[in-house]
Amino acid sequence: MTQKQITRDDILHLAKLANLQLTEAEIKKYMSQLEETIEYVENLSELNTVGVPPTSHATRVENVYFEDGTPNQRGLDFSKENYKVPRIL
Amino acid sequence: MKYPYPIIGLEIHVELKTKSKMFCQCSADYFGKAPNSQVCPVCLGLPGALPVPNKTAVEWTIRIAQALGCTVPERSKFDRKHYFYPDLPKGYQISQYDEPIGINGRVAISDGIERKEFRIRRVHIEEDTGKLIHKGGETLIDFNRSSVPLVEIVTEADFHNSGDVKRFLEELQVIIRTLDVANADMEKGDMRLEPNISVLYLEKGQKWDGKTFPKYKVEVKNINSFRFAKMAIDYELERQTKLLENGETPVQETRGFNEKTNATVSQRTKEDAHDYRYFPEPDIPVMVFGKSYLERIRQSLPELPTPRAERLVAELGLRFQDAFLITRVKSTADLYEMLVAKMGKDKSQKIANHIVNRKVDVTAPVEEVVSAMEALFAEKNADPALLEKAVADVCAANGKVVTDYKNGKQQALMFLVGQVMRQMRGQADAADVTAALRKYLD
Amino acid sequence: MNLAAATLAELRTLLDTKKISSSELVDFFRARIEKHNPKLNVYLTVCDPESAAGTGPLAGIPLAIKDNFCTKGIRTTASAKLLDSFISPYDATVISRLKEAGALVQGKTNMDAWAHGSSTETSDYGPTLNPWDTTRVPGGSSGGSAAATAAALAPAAIGSETAGSIRGPASWCGVIGVKPTYGRVSRYGVIAMGSSLDCPGPFSRTIEDSALLLQIIAGKDPFDATSAEEAVPDYTAEMKKKRTFTIGIADEYLEGVQEDVRKNFDQTKKELEKMGHTFKKISLIPPKYSISVYTILQRAEVSSNLSRYDGIRYGEKRTAFTAEAKRRIMLGTYTLSHGYYDAYYKKAQQVRTLLIEDFRRVFRDVDLIMAPSGPVTALKLGEFEKYPFFGEIMDVLYEPGAIAGLPAISIPTGLDSNSLPIGMQFMANYFSEGALLDIGYQYEQETGFHGISKQLIDRYA
Repeated sequence: MTQKQITRDDILHLAKLANLQLTEAEIKKYMSQLEETIEYVENLSELNTVGVPPTSHATRVENVYFEDGTPNQRGLDFSKENYKVPRIL
Repeated sequence: MKYPYPIIGLEIHVELKTKSKMFCQCSADYFGKAPNSQVCPVCLGLPGALPVPNKTAVEWTIRIAQALGCTVPERSKFDRKHYFYPDLPKGYQISQYDEPIGINGRVAISDGIERKEFRIRRVHIEEDTGKLIHKGGETLIDFNRSSVPLVEIVTEADFHNSGDVKRFLEELQVIIRTLDVANADMEKGDMRLEPNISVLYLEKGQKWDGKTFPKYKVEVKNINSFRFAKMAIDYELERQTKLLENGETPVQETRGFNEKTNATVSQRTKEDAHDYRYFPEPDIPVMVFGKSYLERIRQSLPELPTPRAERLVAELGLRFQDAFLITRVKSTADLYEMLVAKMGKDKSQKIANHIVNRKVDVTAPVEEVVSAMEALFAEKNADPALLEKAVADVCAANGKVVTDYKNGKQQALMFLVGQVMRQMRGQADAADVTAALRKYLD
Repeated sequence: MNLAAATLAELRTLLDTKKISSSELVDFFRARIEKHNPKLNVYLTVCDPESAAGTGPLAGIPLAIKDNFCTKGIRTTASAKLLDSFISPYDATVISRLKEAGALVQGKTNMDAWAHGSSTETSDYGPTLNPWDTTRVPGGSSGGSAAATAAALAPAAIGSETAGSIRGPASWCGVIGVKPTYGRVSRYGVIAMGSSLDCPGPFSRTIEDSALLLQIIAGKDPFDATSAEEAVPDYTAEMKKKRTFTIGIADEYLEGVQEDVRKNFDQTKKELEKMGHTFKKISLIPPKYSISVYTILQRAEVSSNLSRYDGIRYGEKRTAFTAEAKRRIMLGTYTLSHGYYDAYYKKAQQVRTLLIEDFRRVFRDVDLIMAPSGPVTALKLGEFEKYPFFGEIMDVLYEPGAIAGLPAISIPTGLDSNSLPIGMQFMANYFSEGALLDIGYQYEQETGFHGISKQLIDRYA
């Protein structure tokens, strides 16, 4: 892992990806907090993980599905809802 | 003297015709339903909702992958693909990133003389988004389509002209319909195409090395038929070639096809790569397909159209054009082979002719088709006297039609032919009847 | 009998023998809530449940539900202003199962907004105060549920834990909290925080009550693909097995622990030894690595899980996110972004494998692992901010087990010199909730938890 300086542009880019609006104060705050966090988690490089498979599920479940056509117990009729946004061009 | 070489890759989406959606039990048949009437916490992305994958959707994706000649690894998984858009309720799409269901396949198209193969890079399963409806100053969102199963098929950049793209799409459509997993109707939106188009200039006599790509590519959206696909590609190639000849590099972007003008229009700049922040979907356990499961699916695949056509040519000596047409619809091909088995291989070309020339209605119940076909082969024993009488009767009963014919309306004769053949209960040959009528009337 | 102190079992008897009716019971707790909630801020939404005519072990009994559980027709906010207007159209599976057992929803309890915290101070609706000392926090993120149980504003409660959110407030409020094995209890309908970590679980004042609640909510759910196939044992029977356990103690888990807590740890150890259990020294990967793993995985999952809040279908726009949520989203987005996935997320998942193997190795030699439930007792309001790494250091004893998905229990074992509750936690192997209930029950039978909960209830008349 590489040590990285977090720039203002980095924060703005992340905010765009995350669809968040930040104030100037927040931008500054996150620059330092992000750096602090990244510095801490660098400690993982002290552990040797060569050849170690990643675990997404601690309890080793696999192959979970539902049968197509199973009766729907959770249907909602929201036809009266009006989900909308300002016109997208 | 350099020449322009088109380099085209395709991204095709096919909506599966499962009963349920991809991750919930809502109906996947959303066409014509009141907006937001077929939703649930899962496909609406409500807080706390969780996805569970549809077994048939996964299995049908494996079928498609196998039918397209792909390797299906024993392990596959779902990933989250993040981006914000009003039709994407969770702010991410559950898709597949680095462990798709199928990889490295190929599809062959043939015209009986030349056989071409196009490579399939990958086949994966994902969920569809909601639908946007633009109305006045607002855009409304209908989530009935949200989370319907969608198979994505990506080809290599193996296409170098629009004609091949059209034939490939037609072949793909026929394959998918033969598998009976989707309607694959571009006009209805359950099959979608986004070609990536660019042009490379090569030296005269130089062949493309397959590895050098232009520094840009243009993605085209909003193509709603195979015909428009060809037009869009032709337009794009011309547009790009003109720019390149002027020393300009076409902008890397997404363009939309306009059906009215048959032209493409710039939509937005396609960045080099979106940062979708893919990571493995933590709510869905990994999928591990056993060898026997995959083999069982492979064994259950129907014979695919073009290989079937090639077999009919080889086994029955059929003309390729006829074999091709017959195998475009599985039920027709099944019907054909049943008829050949029943009536004899020696009649295979003639049976093919009758089907191709629509002498029988292949959608009618099987018994009717069989008798109609047999009737066509029956010895025509028309008693000339009976035929004369039938001709006279029909003309007497249809005075106006006779007048029309005598006034020059050739079509009127067809009607009379049909009437006479009916009265003769199939015992008369159409050609004989036509001749008899002409003799009587002229 | 003081109805406030009644256990679920005792209430069952009272209701069945018609000594009290369900509506009287609901009114009883509502009156207590009206009296104490304005100060303690335990409940965000107080309900008016129709007393159930049904049968079932919890028939007619109201429970406090953490506000990250979707409850049909009832406001569900996860203590976030962004969801202030959200009325859930469906019940979480945990809720449906409790309702099937006849339970009523007394109300929705306060928490750290989006479950992002260990104090309940970062709620968008103000902190919940610790009933033991209202200048202090109850812990989090299930602070409201723990406080409700401790001050008897409900007979018992439901909360959730990602890493410490049940154990922490349970220990700081002097009650029992059970964090089941990941996948033991369905997450369907629980507003997601860390998808690979979240575990719903009960709060109670007796082990028997937790066993009953766990019995009802545990088990495979077709709506949650990560829920476990494992059969659910009879937890009440498991609880009474009186097994003798070999209990592991790791020095790594005793570093930096407050003096009173350390003393209580030693005392509890002696009590357990007297009861016949043996202790063994074990060694575990230092918790500091777990903090990194947890930070990376949890933030990534959080940033992803909060993507659905765009204000179009429910709730407010993303501008309504408050500071802590935004911070976690920013870091999560960073660790998942192009170029960093391998370095952070993938690496963290690999270390997770190491942690799981580490515990697997240890559980070959011991049945349970014991540690303090937290390095300190309840902090004062505003004190969290002063701690390094945003106070997440508090969760250092919870994170390793949570990352590995192991079950744990926190039981009250004493009071510190400020009369604040101290809790001890036990961790067990996958799906060994029975063993945790067993040791908890033995300790309860032996010590009555030193009368801790009764002490507090007497103060909240």
